[in-house]
Amino acid sequence: MRRLVDPTIIAILAGALALTFAHGLMPGWVIYMLQLALAAALPALGCMILLRSGLLTFGQGLFYFIGAYGVALTQRHLGLTDAFAGLLLGALASALVATIVGTFLARYRGIFFAMLTLALSMVVYGIAIKMDLFGRSDGLNVSRLTYLGVVPGREWATPALFVFCIWVFAVAAVMTHLYLTSRFGRMLSAIHDNETRVEYLGWSVAKAVHVSFIVAAVLASLGGTLAAAAARYADPSLAFWTTSGEFVFIVLISGIGNVLSPLFGSVFLEALRAYASTHFPDEWQLVLGAVMLVIILFLPKGLGHLFVLAKRAVVRPVAGKSLPANAKERS
Amino acid sequence: MNQLQIILIDGIQYAGWLFLVSIGLTLVFGVLRLLNIAHGAFYALGAYVAAYAIGLAAQNGFGTGVQLLAAFLGAIAVGGLIGVLVERTILRRLYDHPEVITLFATYALFLMMEDITKLVFGGQPLYAFQPRNAFGMAQVGPLAYPVYDLLTVVAAVLVAVAVWVVLNRTRTGRCVIAVVNDREMAASMGVNVTAIMVATFVAGTALGAFAGAVTAPKIAVAPGIAVEVVVLAFAVIVIGGLGSIGGAVVGALVVGIARAAATHLAPDFAVFAVYAVMALVLAVRPYGLFARPLARKI
Repeated sequence: MRRLVDPTIIAILAGALALTFAHGLMPGWVIYMLQLALAAALPALGCMILLRSGLLTFGQGLFYFIGAYGVALTQRHLGLTDAFAGLLLGALASALVATIVGTFLARYRGIFFAMLTLALSMVVYGIAIKMDLFGRSDGLNVSRLTYLGVVPGREWATPALFVFCIWVFAVAAVMTHLYLTSRFGRMLSAIHDNETRVEYLGWSVAKAVHVSFIVAAVLASLGGTLAAAAARYADPSLAFWTTSGEFVFIVLISGIGNVLSPLFGSVFLEALRAYASTHFPDEWQLVLGAVMLVIILFLPKGLGHLFVLAKRAVVRPVAGKSLPANAKERS
Repeated sequence: MNQLQIILIDGIQYAGWLFLVSIGLTLVFGVLRLLNIAHGAFYALGAYVAAYAIGLAAQNGFGTGVQLLAAFLGAIAVGGLIGVLVERTILRRLYDHPEVITLFATYALFLMMEDITKLVFGGQPLYAFQPRNAFGMAQVGPLAYPVYDLLTVVAAVLVAVAVWVVLNRTRTGRCVIAVVNDREMAASMGVNVTAIMVATFVAGTALGAFAGAVTAPKIAVAPGIAVEVVVLAFAVIVIGGLGSIGGAVVGALVVGIARAAATHLAPDFAVFAVYAVMALVLAVRPYGLFARPLARKI
């Protein structure tokens, strides 16, 4: 029961509650930006899980795409406008795809894993822009959502979606936190340190990587559903590799310390995008790339690491805490 | 002429192009242990410089020879120059970082270079068909092929021979091979490892730009041509084994012929052909055909 009074979980729930009741106080553009940030934080959370075991993925966009089309296609072909139906179908489809391709990918590490996930999402992108089912390069529209039979009126549609986004993120973040603090989740960092030792301890590294790949895929698809619902359309560029690159960028900014870090990173990214699109409308990639390089060169553990450094200056360091850092250097 | 011969001719043409775009990537990986995603951006840069140079030469009334010479020299010079800059200012700070970080740094470089190229040359597509048209068509059996496309294969063979000769028949090349095999041991034998690494990176980016210059007369040079190249070149070199020159030749032939076969026999699956071959090879040999097995860290 100790884990239920975990400060991270309390922070997530308190934050979600506060935002739920604060929606009336925020201007429309803040709400829209927060929705996009929440949607992007979920696939980034998936990237973070994989990065815990040292795996860089350029394929989260694929599952983001599946999640977005999960809601678009259930509306179009099943006639269901229910938010939960779209969310669930997208997540199931993602889990299925991740289970199948994961059997192949779980053997690879480092650049192989990164480039194979990239190739996979580019294949799907290549198919999607040519298939009528996915609306070719124009994409599909997403109409207004209903929630378990409740049809919000015109003025309540935006707040309802906002609250939905917040709670989907909150629930996903709490679940991910429980996963990462479980024995199975703690093994991920051990895999990053030394796979062979993990195998000697009697765990299957391939299985652990496969499971976290599936978890990451489901998280990405939840994000995709939220993004499609917020932007009211889904298009194949969600599977394009630069979309996946943005999710890695988010984790790079925020670091991999906590399940809330990606949200911090994605808010930063959305703010940067808003700033760049007014000042440098055609040079978005240039700005993004330059910020990435500066962070890699000067703050390789992410902006979030600034907090860790600040905390370390205030709190007296515990003697045992320095052990993992040494272990990493030796491997 | 039967279908098999047609597939072979198409496949070899495509393989020649694939080899040109991937040789620089595999060379850099072999020596620097760095997968340069920005390689695609150097390819695009080379294509832009070449298209611009050909246009300029044609406007001033120069013939095909001068146009191509200007295109190739210009692309190699610009590619090499930017390569030195990038290596000296950014990449050399990252060599002791984990490989995923350096991979991501080259991705950041890719994004920046793509936008800068667009800023310099504009967003409109450039066309440089003059040299390809000037060479005309050649009759191979009942089919006509552009001579320029056939010459691409010759260029690929020449580049392969040149790289082989430099690596195996010169002192510098021997040093490069020594660095590939064991960086520390090479350094302790007096090889200037840093100089070898810089030279290889520059050669790699110049080769990437050269591949772009060769391709420029065949395509509309427009933003977005870089991405496909990164993924294809990676598929080619991963089939052969990262860092292996012979592997790049075999990978290019396998992918080229597979793609040509798919285009003729099952056009709907042409997009998949490359990746299907890659998945098949990796299922049997997880790190490519000619990759040396790595010792596991305990």
